[in-house]
Amino acid sequence: MSPAALVEPTTKTLPESSLSTRSSPERGDLDKNRRFWDLRGVQWRTDLGVLPSSSSVDDVRRVTANSRRSYAALRRRLLIDPLIPKDGSDFPDLTMDNPLSQDPDSTWGRFFQKAELEKMVDQDLSRLYPEHGSYFQTPRCQAMLRRILLLWCIHHPNYGYRQGMHELLAPLLFVLQADVERLSAVRKLYEHYFTDNFDGLSFHETDSAYKSNLKQISRHIEDDSGIQENQVTVNNLDELDPKIQTIILFSDAYGAEGELGIVLSERFMEHDAYCMFDALMNGAGGAVAMANFFSPPPLNGPQNGLPPVIEASSVLYHLLAVVDSSLYTHLVELGVEPQYFALRWLRVLYGREFALADLLVIWDAIFSFDNRRLDVVSENDPDLSFGGLNSSRGAFIAALAVSMILYIRSSILATETATSCLQRLLNFPNDVNLGKLMKKANSLVALAIDSMRLMPPAMHSDGVSDRSKLTVSRGHSLSFDVSASGTGTPVSLLRDSYWEEKWRVLHKEEEEKQTIPQKQVENRPKGWSEKVKLQLLRTESDPSSSKVYHAKTGPSRPRVRRNLLDDLARQLGLEEEIEKLASKDDSTKRSLSGNGGSEENSSVFSDPPTPTGGDANDNDHENDTERSSVASNISVEENGPEHCPPVESFSATIPEVSSPLPVCEAPEPAPLPPVQNEDSIGKLGSNLKERISLAGKFQWLWKFGKNGGDNSTTEKGAGVSDSTKSSIVGQDQNSETAASAMDVKSVNQNTTCSLKNLGESMVENLQVIESVIQQEKGETGSKKALLVDRGQMTAMAALKELRKISNILSEM
Amino acid sequence: MVLVMAIGDLHIPHRAMELPAKFKSMLVPGKIQHIICTGNLCIKEVHDYLKSLCPNLHVTRGVYDEDARYPETETLTIEQFKLGLCHGHKVVPWGDLDSLAMVQRQLDVDILVSGHTHRFMAYKHETGMVINPGSATGSYCGMTYDVNPSIVLMDIDGLRVVVYVYELIDGEVKVEKIDFKKTSATT
Repeated sequence: MSPAALVEPTTKTLPESSLSTRSSPERGDLDKNRRFWDLRGVQWRTDLGVLPSSSSVDDVRRVTANSRRSYAALRRRLLIDPLIPKDGSDFPDLTMDNPLSQDPDSTWGRFFQKAELEKMVDQDLSRLYPEHGSYFQTPRCQAMLRRILLLWCIHHPNYGYRQGMHELLAPLLFVLQADVERLSAVRKLYEHYFTDNFDGLSFHETDSAYKSNLKQISRHIEDDSGIQENQVTVNNLDELDPKIQTIILFSDAYGAEGELGIVLSERFMEHDAYCMFDALMNGAGGAVAMANFFSPPPLNGPQNGLPPVIEASSVLYHLLAVVDSSLYTHLVELGVEPQYFALRWLRVLYGREFALADLLVIWDAIFSFDNRRLDVVSENDPDLSFGGLNSSRGAFIAALAVSMILYIRSSILATETATSCLQRLLNFPNDVNLGKLMKKANSLVALAIDSMRLMPPAMHSDGVSDRSKLTVSRGHSLSFDVSASGTGTPVSLLRDSYWEEKWRVLHKEEEEKQTIPQKQVENRPKGWSEKVKLQLLRTESDPSSSKVYHAKTGPSRPRVRRNLLDDLARQLGLEEEIEKLASKDDSTKRSLSGNGGSEENSSVFSDPPTPTGGDANDNDHENDTERSSVASNISVEENGPEHCPPVESFSATIPEVSSPLPVCEAPEPAPLPPVQNEDSIGKLGSNLKERISLAGKFQWLWKFGKNGGDNSTTEKGAGVSDSTKSSIVGQDQNSETAASAMDVKSVNQNTTCSLKNLGESMVENLQVIESVIQQEKGETGSKKALLVDRGQMTAMAALKELRKISNILSEM
Repeated sequence: MVLVMAIGDLHIPHRAMELPAKFKSMLVPGKIQHIICTGNLCIKEVHDYLKSLCPNLHVTRGVYDEDARYPETETLTIEQFKLGLCHGHKVVPWGDLDSLAMVQRQLDVDILVSGHTHRFMAYKHETGMVINPGSATGSYCGMTYDVNPSIVLMDIDGLRVVVYVYELIDGEVKVEKIDFKKTSATT
């Protein structure tokens, strides 16, 4: 199917879409933008920023010529054959530049690299648009595409070639070809208008130079009326449709910049396509840069460290949540991550979801939106980047995705599993009512921009990033298989959602508490669930983890810390307690530092515990967790566990605190928890006696803590046990020792506070049990048994906690 | 842009254990299109190793080769060049240019590759070249003192061939380049 024929049927839908777009508020100067609506190549070049949007033909021609020149220079520079001998006698050093040299910079090294790239590109190109093979599979077109892609990839070595780039390039070349064909059609119709005004004179073919010169010159000398015959055609140019006029002016070989400036030129199609592709990939200074979707940016601008495509997918989901929350929750319940289908959608700008004719219309709309970065700064986190979608163009892309999802709403809601849902999403129906889709998308654009403005980091981080952190590696592997059906295993998703729910539960409480200004009330110890939360924070922000962990939970954590710190400050009465805390902190801090490696192991539940690593780590692990659980348990009884974490984190900065620790910690291979606890408690006691004068230090700690709201999460090592199981066990084991430790404190304030704390912890435990039960209800999948066990463990733990608390209360 | 490697006289395992490490690191599969081997590998393992570098492997029979099925001589055409291959122990006097030139005329080739002397030699005359890639392992030879490991890589491009010689002298790889242009295309 020739490009021109393909373009024609779309003109029907085009006015409709352009009408609807006219109503959208983000459209700029419509008349100017839509000036070339039938010359897609020129229109797109203007939209992408390759051509200036000025109305002067000369400007356009000049810019065209410049861009073509730069491409020609680039091509010359990067594609020279390494064998061409240099004229100068300074040959490159042979030890470097021989064919077998391993040096990647040698000409031979580059040659082989180029050969590799070319192989990859060829693989993709051979499969490009087979249904339009009459154009795309011709050797000439393939050669052009190959050269353009190669050049771009060599020019941008940090991105390399990724599958999907060819699909972005193909429609660009297609529209250029369509333009050229249109030009030839126009030329046929209006042949005599194409005068190629050479010196302002036009010559008839059969004129002999001698005769015609005299004639024409004499005509010039005579009145203007005498020249009418020749200038008739030129005058009539103004009578033509202005579009035809521009076409003719664009292709005048003697206009500005001569032939290089002919805007619709077959000879320079490659140059123009390269410039369009480059502009599309780089975003031309705007927000939406397609290259970002293909790999993480080299400089990690946003602090969250997520690949932009994941962020963009989350923006999409966020908008969907705003628009249609039931559909959103359905998708989330099924565990369908947005990037499974959005990756393919975004990377080729819906190139695979629609036929080429429809795609051209869609891209018309997408490109018609302005790409300037919107001023969308969230008050909580200025580093939010929205995956590069923060422009009206990006908003439209997101809106279009959402409208596509809404289009197949009923079939999605009917699905029961993630697999079938993804199947529906990835096999988007072919016969779409494009106009409807576009109208819906346009209506959602404003909403998209607003939602981006208001997107709270909690939502952004919470909903997707917690899961996406652990699935980001999978996302990367998906990147190489754009056409994959993307059926990721739900295993780790389940685990994520378990922790994520935990986090959500706790986080919601935090948000509720924020409304209550009194910090006293907020300071009630969360007991076991607090430990879990801190443990979550720890696992999330583990610096030793090789995965990309998201530190988005920052704002809530400082809040917690500040609260805990205040409570801690209030409990400042006993020096002894302080020492205890400090020493406990030391031990937990030590255990924290020792935990680096084992953290990784234990935090990844779905992986079968490696026996080798486990054995070595387990002992230490148990030691550490027992000690930390001891610490936290003791503090449960006394002051509440939240005192532990902040002081621990700050004690991490005190070097001298850690000195006595190695002594007592060295001989700790005993695996039995109860024995362990006694030992460690004994050692703690000895630590206590050793260090008396910690009050001053504690004051410093307190002051430091006040300022330490934004401490790096690495210091947040709560030393809380990684596996809840061990902590529960530890708790049980230590109830007696804890009870005995209770006798230490004798201050009245403390008792009243602790009463309050105990009450709060009761509530907490109840909530935990509730959530666990809910969790069990909602569990599906293979890991159910494991998680149910764990859920049961947590429930039992919470119950035991409650029992303990009741014991204590009865004691009082 | 066809890369052809000429290698020979390795004498593994009798006189040498293996290729020098520096050569081994240079030889990466996928870069070379043809390997021509003058002989004296001597065992199958060496044959397999060379085959792993490049599937187009041509070997001629040397004195100590354990595989008796290798031919005495071999000719192949790459681009515009005809290459001839023989071990050279049957060409007496060993290493003599005139005798080798006779063989070259007999085989009717542009480039004759032969070995046995363990000494690198590349001789250019008006109708062709005679190349001796030397010994890749630097193994002992009765007629040559101070044998340096060497291999030859030919880059054949139309009517022009560039010969790169890699010699291991004092532990360092030295590279030399020789250009040869054929006057007329192969008939």
